[in-house]
Amino acid sequence: MDPNLLTHWQNISGFLGFYYIALALMNGIAAFVVWRRSHATVGPVLLLLLSLVYVGVLAPLAFSADATWMPRMPSWFTQLTNEILGGSWGAVIYTVGSIVLLGGLFVARKFFVRPDVAWILLNASLLALGLSFSDPNFYAIAAKPDNVPIVGLIFLLGFFTWLATSRAVENDARALEGRPPLEKENDEKILVWPDLVYTELICMILLTALLLFWAIGLDAPLEEPASSVKTPNPSKAPWYFLGLQEMLVYFDPWMAGVVLPSLIVVGLMAIPYLDFNPKGNGYYTIEDRKFSYLMYQFGFLVLWITLIVLGTFLRGPNWNIFAVYEYWDPHKVEALNNIDLSNMFWEQLMGVSLPKAPNEAGFFTQLGFILYREWLGIAVTLLYFIMLPPLMAATVFRGFFVKMGFMRFMVMSNLILFMALLPIKMVLRWTVNLKYIIAIPEYFLNL
Amino acid sequence: MADKKKMSVAEILAAARQQDSGEGDATPSPAEAAPAAEEVVESAASAESPPAEEPAPATTMKPGERPSVKDILAMARSGESGAATKPAAPKAKAAAEKPAAAAKPKAPAAKKPAAKKEVAERKTTASILAAARRTSKAGPMSKAEAAKQPAAKPKAPPKPKRPVPPMPEKPAYAIPVEPPEVDQSRRTAMKAAGVTAIAAAALFGSALRLGFTSLATTLSLWGLATARFMFPNILTEPPSRFKVGFPDSFSPGVVETKFKAQFGVWVVNGSYRGEQQLYALSTVCTHLGCTPNWLEAEQKFKCPCHGSGFYKDGINFEGPAPRPLERYAIRIADDGQVEIDKSRRFQEEMGQWSDPASFVSV
Repeated sequence: MDPNLLTHWQNISGFLGFYYIALALMNGIAAFVVWRRSHATVGPVLLLLLSLVYVGVLAPLAFSADATWMPRMPSWFTQLTNEILGGSWGAVIYTVGSIVLLGGLFVARKFFVRPDVAWILLNASLLALGLSFSDPNFYAIAAKPDNVPIVGLIFLLGFFTWLATSRAVENDARALEGRPPLEKENDEKILVWPDLVYTELICMILLTALLLFWAIGLDAPLEEPASSVKTPNPSKAPWYFLGLQEMLVYFDPWMAGVVLPSLIVVGLMAIPYLDFNPKGNGYYTIEDRKFSYLMYQFGFLVLWITLIVLGTFLRGPNWNIFAVYEYWDPHKVEALNNIDLSNMFWEQLMGVSLPKAPNEAGFFTQLGFILYREWLGIAVTLLYFIMLPPLMAATVFRGFFVKMGFMRFMVMSNLILFMALLPIKMVLRWTVNLKYIIAIPEYFLNL
Repeated sequence: MADKKKMSVAEILAAARQQDSGEGDATPSPAEAAPAAEEVVESAASAESPPAEEPAPATTMKPGERPSVKDILAMARSGESGAATKPAAPKAKAAAEKPAAAAKPKAPAAKKPAAKKEVAERKTTASILAAARRTSKAGPMSKAEAAKQPAAKPKAPPKPKRPVPPMPEKPAYAIPVEPPEVDQSRRTAMKAAGVTAIAAAALFGSALRLGFTSLATTLSLWGLATARFMFPNILTEPPSRFKVGFPDSFSPGVVETKFKAQFGVWVVNGSYRGEQQLYALSTVCTHLGCTPNWLEAEQKFKCPCHGSGFYKDGINFEGPAPRPLERYAIRIADDGQVEIDKSRRFQEEMGQWSDPASFVSV
């Protein structure tokens, strides 16, 4: 038995025991609420049994911190996770896996929004989190004060997504039956004072209390004094910027730090002007606004939240990918030999060295040589931004083009193309080690 | 009458034209004509000049709607006797004055009787206005008109003057003393004072000027202070030119990291394009400016921020860094030590690493 592991278990046994008791309480309250509402017997009994397992089995075992009985993730699972996520294909598997997972949740949303299914999923994820805390490497990441908000974010986001989706599914079912949506049916007006103001006041007090206890319980994640020559390894942005930091791995700082963030803001501002669908106003729906829903969820859940989670849990020293149960070894070697598209074309395909202007050449000769060197990347980029919008208008987005008109369609299609740049660049980096499509470091212009 | 109120302009025009052209025909009964006329003038008064929907025949009327004034007046006059039109007629007359005044028709004949009557009957706003207009024409006057104008009122007889007692004799102390001869320098000084006073008046003449002047003064002072701030008396940063020891203290293939903390420099004795050189690499990542670490085991510089990696010679090979690390100027000083000058940089992608100032051959 590894003494470090035993020490870790002894350290966290109290916390884990109360964690399982909290889970038991949660399920017990749920059993009571279900019984009060429906007077059914099966559901509450099952919930009570689950609650008893938490409080009667898992909590005492966790309190014991016993070497054989400590509840923990099975070792085959942690090893498999490390193999899958910690390898060179870790980022690919993580990203593709999360897209597939979210896509599956979307396709089978009628099943997953059922309260019983959602409750089982919540319990499973909370139990997995508790079992994973027994792993010191996982605990070091997930219980770090910086990262606690992100663990909370995952569950909070799951809850709100479930809430919205379940109402949307119900409204869509009602629309099929020809009934008005939930929000239209119970649109009885309530008063700002006292109904809304009291609710807000209670929320304010509860949140303030939560923040107080949080601030007392978890120390602020302050680090050593800043030094211009010593960078913490890994250097992580604040959690809400981790998506941007991940974007910076694939792009030049100008693109990922200035152009694309500005486009995110501008694109969000443009949505009301691009939206021509009058439906979905004031009620949750998916069927009525499928395109908008998918576009938004892809941009938010996939391109923002999963990147935050990736940056939090999977990026380790030297910004390498580490699996969640993997030790953060600063000497882990990842073979990455990234090359530009011009290298690929001239050196690998044509078998010659890059075209280079003579040293004493004038400005325009230099520029000409640079453009000649990067002609393939420039052509590909121009084709992407100039050829694709008309192609989209003629094929998949024909109806959109007719309804939106030329200007609005061009704005929308270009915003979509910019949004698609990130996944495209990620895939190219992982599969063919492409660094930049256009690489003109002489003038700080890289794409 | 109530239903007649909603007549359209076209209908009114048609009615008016019918009256106008039908000379031989029997004139429509006054009771019918009066409201029509009322409508016409009302619309004319409210909308100044409503667009003529159909150009009226020029022979009968001038502008499509207005020429009915004459007719209206005639109608009113004729209708005066008719008891049925009594309430409508004065209104029509009074309103008729308005377009008439606006168009300034040269029809005193038509105007006068109307004016006479209104005095007798009732004073409406329009009639008061018309009366005011009659006495004095608004706007510029011609000479002939001015001559016709009655002479200005003679002034009231002057009030009887009060007798004022004569001023007493000036006492001796009040008589001003003749100023002594002013010399030239004093005069120029006074002149300068005068100029200053004028300038001050120009600058501070009003509260607005005072405000803007003080704003401009404050801003320029602030700008000067900022400019001064850019040149501090003491610089706490290390000198850009420093010595790192003798060349033989750097063994081949070794990256010297001990100058990183103080000077931000790695001194490397390595090979670049098959040539053994001593060079100074900047410790700033070319991607976003973090400080990479030298990993001895992997023989590479690795940035902890976004994972950029550089070979020992500073060439970028992994991660997002778009160009190699930069070199600083390096040379053998007169005393034989290696001297690094951080004020000069050499970029590989610009072909500057072939510059002999960027390395020392060993």
